[in-house]
Amino acid sequence: MPGIKLYIGIWLGLVFATVMEVVVRSLSGETSLILTIILMIASAKAIAISLYYQHLRYEGIRLAALPLAAIVGTIFLAVAAGVTIIMGM
Amino acid sequence: MNDEEADAQESKSTFMPLIIAVGVAVLLLGIAIYVPFVIVGLIIIAAGLFKLFKDGAAEKYADRKEVAEEKFPLESVSKEKLGVWVFLSSEILIFGSLIIAYVYVRVSSGAWPVASQTHNVLLGMTNTIILLTSSLTMILALYSIRKSNVAGLKICLLSTFALGFAFLGIKLGIEWPALIRSGFTISSGLPASSYYVLTGLHAAHVAVGLVMVGYLMFRTYSGGFTSTKHGAVENVGLYWHFVDIVWMFLFPLFYLI
Repeated sequence: MPGIKLYIGIWLGLVFATVMEVVVRSLSGETSLILTIILMIASAKAIAISLYYQHLRYEGIRLAALPLAAIVGTIFLAVAAGVTIIMGM
Repeated sequence: MNDEEADAQESKSTFMPLIIAVGVAVLLLGIAIYVPFVIVGLIIIAAGLFKLFKDGAAEKYADRKEVAEEKFPLESVSKEKLGVWVFLSSEILIFGSLIIAYVYVRVSSGAWPVASQTHNVLLGMTNTIILLTSSLTMILALYSIRKSNVAGLKICLLSTFALGFAFLGIKLGIEWPALIRSGFTISSGLPASSYYVLTGLHAAHVAVGLVMVGYLMFRTYSGGFTSTKHGAVENVGLYWHFVDIVWMFLFPLFYLI
């Protein structure tokens, strides 16, 4: 099991990333680039929580396959929605 | 497994999840067609949860043996934890579908209000940090009990409960009333209805999490956890962190983009 320092370090990183999201939003620049950066930060935060707070990093791939399968299903849905939007344009 | 062992295993099983599921069905039926059914549904759910928690606190299910054949291919994972992960996987699909539907509607719609003009970014960020901190206290609760630190477990669970309550207080007590006063109601269009459905569903999950953390606190104060027996703390923690993860996506989608 990871130590208390790692847990607090992860929390500090997550809080910092949250502040960064707000800072990036206030920047002027290419909108799609800003959106991409914000969503990448959000995904990184979610992955960090899964790996270190839900201990998926230490559980092994067999257990991680369960949420991964659900994520793959969601990605399929996202791709289908994306294709529908592009075809409609 | 002989007949006696099978009977003993049977006595350590419960059909309360089925009762709770019936309660949820009646509740949803009430919402859809006949409002008094909502109360009936809530009573069934409360009764089922009470019995489940009472038996859980009495450790009725604690000694249930797990045969190796039932555990393949996850021999090192307890059934309870596996059950939580299966449940969380279904939750990923529910929230994933709703979030994708929201993005689809938003991209397809020509006009959409600017997030920062509709929602209070500072309140959203505060709530995000509160939820992240509650995740930290939840994992520290597990860390504490693994180190036989019951006092630490009590403090961490109490902190998690307080932080979760603060999150709901800001969301339902400050944000929603302010939005409703400004005319941003659930019936005022797609931006509002999608916001209330997604954040409302998430808030309902936080509320359920608070009930579970309350149950953990009750069991902690009645001496129910030790360094070797604390599966419930870990499993409730998995759920709590999942609720946190969902908010990591809802915050930028509704407050920043």
